[in-house]
Amino acid sequence: MKSYHDIAGDGGSDILQQVAAQQASVTRSLSGVRNLLAVGSGKGGVGKSTLTMQLACALRAAGNAVSILDADLNGPSQARLGGLHDRMLIPGQSGAQVPMTPSGIGVVSMGSLVPEPRSVEFESVASGSSHTWRATKEFTFLRELLACMDWGKLDYLLVDLPPGAERIVQYAELLGPAALFVLVTVPSDLATGVVARSLDALEKTPNRILGYVQNMDGYYCSDCGQVKPLFPAQSQVKLDLPCLGCVPFDPELAALCDRGGSPCDEPTLVSWQPVQRIAEQICQRVAERASTPEEKT
Amino acid sequence: MKFLCVSCDEAMKLIEVKPPDRGSLSIMYRCPKCGNEFAMLTNPYETQVVGSLGVQVGPEEDGAAKCPFPGVMQEMGVSLDDSSAVFPWTAEASERLANIPEFARPMAKTGIEKFAKDRGLARVDAEVMEQARDFFGM
Repeated sequence: MKSYHDIAGDGGSDILQQVAAQQASVTRSLSGVRNLLAVGSGKGGVGKSTLTMQLACALRAAGNAVSILDADLNGPSQARLGGLHDRMLIPGQSGAQVPMTPSGIGVVSMGSLVPEPRSVEFESVASGSSHTWRATKEFTFLRELLACMDWGKLDYLLVDLPPGAERIVQYAELLGPAALFVLVTVPSDLATGVVARSLDALEKTPNRILGYVQNMDGYYCSDCGQVKPLFPAQSQVKLDLPCLGCVPFDPELAALCDRGGSPCDEPTLVSWQPVQRIAEQICQRVAERASTPEEKT
Repeated sequence: MKFLCVSCDEAMKLIEVKPPDRGSLSIMYRCPKCGNEFAMLTNPYETQVVGSLGVQVGPEEDGAAKCPFPGVMQEMGVSLDDSSAVFPWTAEASERLANIPEFARPMAKTGIEKFAKDRGLARVDAEVMEQARDFFGM
């Protein structure tokens, strides 16, 4: 009797071929993107999204063409951070036009399309069992987003990842082996322990991890003009990864983000210069990668 | 998934997929050698898991756009009517609309039609789409 592998094709729908075609369409769509840079952590609440927007601003200020894909479908932040929370997608020449912030950063985020406080609910014929299919649906949806946008020529496409240490590998597989990663942590063992798990998971992929950013590294007190400790003790958990820089928590930045203001418009923020230095580090490491492509970290 | 006619040792051929009925697909197969037919009837969970891959089961459909979260869109006042019967679209404009993700089509269609109607235009063509693009600040 014939086995599965003796029969060419599949049951008639070419499911595998269709999935391969979807992946090929992502490759086509991203053909003008020089660097795909995912900003992740594994831990929630460490400031990934704000840092992603700040990095985009710093890269843009340095003359790069930059867009952001907000991969957090369920808790999107980039539309609000970019002041694009009510921007619908419009057809461009070969795909959907990427909405742009006034400072020239493209932002694709579910937050533009589904207004707060609505949650994203996918239509389903199997209601009550979303735990069995939702993750698949989300990755399919993200792949469609990547494939259908008119990304154009970009120096950097930043991907703001949702939390989840194990899921970071799934995003690496979705984005492909050329995608670079930056991890974000805060000076706490609780957070860094989770980020260490993400690092462990990512190290099994062919993707290169540029380093990590220590966010909320103290907070800026506007009364005394100093950065004071935010977390009580020095973290004992260390990441075996280059530190790209440390960024203090700035209440003014938090207030600005809540108002939908862009960090690009506020170069006086205390976090701006550290973020600029981190952006420089990233550019430098990307340039080094170009000269030594076989080296992973 | 593949199916084998055990008595003929021959791969069964898909011949028809019936439209979903309460979440179940009926997929009919025939053995090209003996002509024996059977149908695979999926339960809603199986239908949903395969559907979540974003793939088409069986022959290609008419290409009509489906929004994966129609409830949210309808709450927002977005029409899910994909036809051009209510407000005409030229072929070129429809083709450009088809370039954007399925989920965004109803929203973009409603927005562009409103843009055109507000300006007393009788249809959506490529020029209207360019105007809309500028208007919406792209």
